[in-house]
Amino acid sequence: MDASDSPERPDPARPDRGRPLPMAPSTPEHAAEPDADEDRFDLLRRREFLGLVGAGFAGLALPECSLHRPAEPIVPYLEQPEELVPGVAVPYASTCGACPAECGVLVTCRDGRPIKMEGNPEHPLSRGGLCARGQASVLDLYDSGRRKGPASGGEETTWAEVDAAVRRDLVAAARAGRQIAILSGTVTSPTLSAAIGELQRVFPTTRHYVYDPLSVSAILDAHERTHGRRVLPWYRLERARAIVGIDADFLGAWLSPVELAAARALGRRGEDTDVPAAWHGQIEARMSVTGANADQRIAAAPSTHLAIVLTLIEEIALIRSRDPDAVLPPAPADVPDLPGVRAMARRLAEAPGRSLLVCGSRDPDVQLAVNVCNELLDAYGATLDLTRPSLQLQGSDAAVDELIAAAADGRVGAVIVLGNVNPLRDHPRAAELAAALDEVDLTVSLSGRRDETSERADVVCPDHHPLEAWGDAHPHVGVYSVFQPVLAPLGDTRAAVESLLAWAGREVSAWEVQRDVWREVLFARQERHISFDAFWDEAVHDGVLALESEELAAPRWRRPEPLAARPTAAALADGELEVDPYASVALGDGRQASNPWLQELPDPITRASWGNVASVAPATAAALGLVEGRVVELSVGGATMRLPAHVQPGMAKGVVAVALGHGRRGMSEVAANYPTVKMFGIERELLDGADVTPLLAVDRVRVRLTDAIEPLAKVQRYDYQTEPFTGKTRPWARSTTSGALAAASAPAEHGEADHAEADHGGDHGEADHGEAAAGGHGGGHATLWPGHRYDGHRWGLAIDLGACTGCSACVIACQAENNVPVVGKAEVRKSRDMHWLRIDRYYDGAEDAPVENPDVVFQPMLCQHCDNAPCETVCPVLATVHSSEGLNVQVYNRCVGTRYCANNCPYKVRRFNWFDYAHDDLVQNLVLNPDVAVRTRGVMEKCSLCTQRISAGKSRARTEGREPLDGEIEPACAQTCPTEAIVFGDLNDPKSRVAQAASRGRAYHVLDELGVQPSIAYLGRVRNRADEPHEEERS
Amino acid sequence: MNGDRRRATRAVAIGWAALVAVLAFAAPAVAEEATPPAAAGQGKESAVLFARHCTKCHTIGEGDRVGPDLKGVHERREHDWLVGFIGAPGRYLDSDPIAMALLEKYDGVRMRDLGITPEQSAGLVEYIRLASEGDLGGGPRVEPLLEREVAFEIDGPSERSGLWPAGIVLSVVLLAGAELARRSRAARTAQVVVVVGVALGYWSLGGQALHRLPGDDQGYAPVQPIPFSHALHAGEMRIACVYCHHAAEKGPEAGVPAVSICMNCHAVVTNRKGRPGDSRRKGATDAVSPALAPLLDVWASRETDAPRSIEWVRVHDLPDFVFFDHRVHVGNGIHCQECHGPVQTMERMRQASDLSMGWCINCHRHEGQPAPTHWQRSEGTLDCNACHQ
Repeated sequence: MDASDSPERPDPARPDRGRPLPMAPSTPEHAAEPDADEDRFDLLRRREFLGLVGAGFAGLALPECSLHRPAEPIVPYLEQPEELVPGVAVPYASTCGACPAECGVLVTCRDGRPIKMEGNPEHPLSRGGLCARGQASVLDLYDSGRRKGPASGGEETTWAEVDAAVRRDLVAAARAGRQIAILSGTVTSPTLSAAIGELQRVFPTTRHYVYDPLSVSAILDAHERTHGRRVLPWYRLERARAIVGIDADFLGAWLSPVELAAARALGRRGEDTDVPAAWHGQIEARMSVTGANADQRIAAAPSTHLAIVLTLIEEIALIRSRDPDAVLPPAPADVPDLPGVRAMARRLAEAPGRSLLVCGSRDPDVQLAVNVCNELLDAYGATLDLTRPSLQLQGSDAAVDELIAAAADGRVGAVIVLGNVNPLRDHPRAAELAAALDEVDLTVSLSGRRDETSERADVVCPDHHPLEAWGDAHPHVGVYSVFQPVLAPLGDTRAAVESLLAWAGREVSAWEVQRDVWREVLFARQERHISFDAFWDEAVHDGVLALESEELAAPRWRRPEPLAARPTAAALADGELEVDPYASVALGDGRQASNPWLQELPDPITRASWGNVASVAPATAAALGLVEGRVVELSVGGATMRLPAHVQPGMAKGVVAVALGHGRRGMSEVAANYPTVKMFGIERELLDGADVTPLLAVDRVRVRLTDAIEPLAKVQRYDYQTEPFTGKTRPWARSTTSGALAAASAPAEHGEADHAEADHGGDHGEADHGEAAAGGHGGGHATLWPGHRYDGHRWGLAIDLGACTGCSACVIACQAENNVPVVGKAEVRKSRDMHWLRIDRYYDGAEDAPVENPDVVFQPMLCQHCDNAPCETVCPVLATVHSSEGLNVQVYNRCVGTRYCANNCPYKVRRFNWFDYAHDDLVQNLVLNPDVAVRTRGVMEKCSLCTQRISAGKSRARTEGREPLDGEIEPACAQTCPTEAIVFGDLNDPKSRVAQAASRGRAYHVLDELGVQPSIAYLGRVRNRADEPHEEERS
Repeated sequence: MNGDRRRATRAVAIGWAALVAVLAFAAPAVAEEATPPAAAGQGKESAVLFARHCTKCHTIGEGDRVGPDLKGVHERREHDWLVGFIGAPGRYLDSDPIAMALLEKYDGVRMRDLGITPEQSAGLVEYIRLASEGDLGGGPRVEPLLEREVAFEIDGPSERSGLWPAGIVLSVVLLAGAELARRSRAARTAQVVVVVGVALGYWSLGGQALHRLPGDDQGYAPVQPIPFSHALHAGEMRIACVYCHHAAEKGPEAGVPAVSICMNCHAVVTNRKGRPGDSRRKGATDAVSPALAPLLDVWASRETDAPRSIEWVRVHDLPDFVFFDHRVHVGNGIHCQECHGPVQTMERMRQASDLSMGWCINCHRHEGQPAPTHWQRSEGTLDCNACHQ
């Protein structure tokens, strides 16, 4: 229709057409016309009609320009990388650089950026598991607080200038005959060692000082005394039938927790029996994750550990008819026998060659005694392997002392600090070291982070993040693993190898150096490949190279010198406590302290996040007048530390335990963070807690109460499996002992088949057995619901509480996989934590009847994906519905945030977005998983059983024209679990691992009596112990 | 009364004029979407058969390929001979002199038995006749898409609501109602009803494609940095969709091809055959099509310090809370055109469907169509978590 060729003026020749007619009857002047009504049907005059049509055309144009979204570019590759399919995750094998354990990982990359770390199932040590810190290390990569380039004197500079300055100073130091000190943690990398060697060759005054912040120096020194070789044994826990841990949190943060937890779980896995095949006893001052998992546990202050080991020696020697006096003097007489110690010795001695002592004490005498004990148990060559020992920690406690002495004397010209330590923060003599460094002309830090040492250094030459760099590791003799870069460095950083070699005068890439080293050192030792390139490609592809043939000669036992007599320790003065500084599961030695995921990870035992606490036993707390949250001041020497108290059942009396790694005052904010309460202007979370590193050097500390109260950011406030008001036992995390199981199974042979099942609630009182048995597997409930038909898959989980160690790897894995936000300390205090998967920790006993040394049980708690889901029935907008495969589905875009579902959930696993946990940090946003929606404010969320991984697995299988295999699809929690405590699969497939686990005798559903019919089955924990708990330990 | 009648006539005329005006500008859109209902049935089946069996070796009017050009073959040969030959070429090639002569002429490449009925054979002959005479018109001409066998004619998704005929009827009813209202002296009502009626007619006849809620981008066809023509590449050149969008079979995203994929051909092909600038033409210059300049430009930049790529403008964009997997759909035999429309006819890429949840669900419920066989083992297609993760 065209307006232009129509006459707009009234045609005088046709007056009727041009006659003015009233147009808008609502206007007053027209309404007033008497004949208006009659003419009103002549609605539009011609030109008005045309005007409307014109406006219509204008309206047509309007939406084209205004309603469409803004143009969004798609920028394709110039050249398509062959292995890369857009939207498909590619795993690259590499090595975890988060701690010295150096586990094997698969780095999941999406469109060229790493978004998740997972354990490498082919790694001989970590066996597919990965700990919380490893899981979180991918976030470190995107820490916007990382150093972006070289700096000199605090000013950014260029690599050429830095290299010239450093080289000039090194040459000057070498000419003057002064030392060039390289200070680092343990370096297992053959390539980095070669680079250090090259520097030593060019500058002969170079000396390498090695210390470890979490030191096992005492173990190494003890083996030098007993075996003539400074070596850390390979703990073959999978071979052990009896393990006693002394002050070694090997399931939590000690040495190589993933490897040791996996090995221990392997050793405990019984064949077709519910009783673990191995027994584990733990002697420790604080309550550690390892102690919580032990079958028997003794709380003993660190000062008694030597006497305990000597008692063990005495008893074992007695049983095994050996003469202990020929080896060591008997236990000091003034230490009374702790109850239960001799029983532990008996259990160890019952399995010679299949038992061992694992001790984490920093006291060389204790470690020497432990070696003697292990020798008496015939552990060497069996459960302790010295032919293929661990190389993960080789540092010496004396190294820093020597460096301080040398530097203070002016014998050191330059200090180069490698990136794997932060000595001005993680060493107890940091202050003295800082003073000594003033005497040194040049201090170079290779740290990629902004830490205390690099802030103090003259020159900073930042190293790459492990995910950006080539590298290698040699965690055990015979095991080599490769770091491969999965993205180009985000900043102008440079590999440590390249920096060291540049100063030695060689400009080469780390990749070339590494290939040269591997060609010369490793290629010759293998026989599989003729071509080096094929060998190299396979090693990079697999991420790990196991050289079975590589082993050391077995050292012979040497009788050590007897222990020097010790002066009897003075009794604790008033207000003085023994101190037990420990590495926490979340932060370890503190190098990842700026990682918000780890800061918000609740400690498995204290259940507190964001900052450390001073834990004391209830009796000690009562004596001191402490209550939870009361701030205490710990003072030693000139240092004082203030931190809130926590009353910890199961701790030894007269001991205060504090976690290391907290309180990074220098950098007082999490480098990048999801703002807590943006509306109140608090954008960044203070790095809370106290720096307690000085306590590593002392045994005792003075404790003073302050008036301040600091509420802990705890995510669990009730510790017992009893109803708070009625006191009725509700064993939702069931456990029993092998003794109780055996007693129950005896009558079962006479036809009471249900009895064994009933006894899984065994620890919790006879009265509940009937109810627990009635719970059964959800059968026999009256229900109003028609039920669901699952024709295809029916997904479910089985969680073995006996295998779960509470290590919290799954919590962080879930957070990384599902874009779970960090909410900050203030919100955690309001119980607004967002973790989809939490690990509840329960003590036995009740609130009004606490047990001094309680049994602990961990229970991973997540959405139970109930068949009769209470949340689904109350949602007014159908935002939470049931899928045809048994999942309880939360549809974020439909949710309006009534929170009825969370209120109706008996498991309290739903999480509400109280705020937009803003993603303002664009670098940090790179870690977000593009397969999972980022939720907005006002939306409920919860565990989806990693529905995106199920979809991907199904899609992959369907593309290949098959059904998904059992074990092919794994949610993030199950994938990362070092002990395979979480099993995922199709409950409709009777042969699947999960269906078989769920049909075992000790399988049950939590709160089964409600009849909600969960898809998550739990397997009750069985403690490998005769009968009544604490029968022997209680004094 | 006379005046009333005159005014009534005028009212109806204005109403209908409005409708016709709407029709006039909506007509192209309607024509584009029109599917010829008359050509269904036998002719459609023949078209599909021809695409499936014949186009590998024969053309109609585009010259000899492996076998002879079939244009006008119905005039050259007896009808029965043709039907018989197509039905059983092996027998004819062994014994029939005409067939044997043809076999010799075409390098001894034997036509294989198609395994079709005599009725289908006759249908093919009829199809060839129609095609030779250019008589197919809007009929069932099937573009032989090379990426897979064409099992049925691919209709693009309708860009209009299926309610449009009802809308037109209702519009007419409303205009008639306006007339009634006028007669009962409810002139004000008549005014409203005419406006509603005209609006409805406008909506029914194409306006709906242009006015919609925010977020509904059906018809969105932004100008791209390179005037890339799917009609040329996918239609005329018959390049398979997955040659460029190779990720569609392997992953959730179909992906925009890397520049290197363009350059697989455009390193050699710099202009259209026969157009000015075609270097193969007699007396041609080496002129490169100006449309290719940005492509060659970014390709050259890969060797430089500042490599750049083309910044295409995204056409299909789902909300961030929707997760779509191409692999599953393509792998289950769903044609690209079922969602993306007749891409092989689009000069500039256009979003053919509204990509709304209702549109997805209609297909997943297979309303108005039989359930595809591949859905027999996928019960979960209506689960929320299939798309919302």
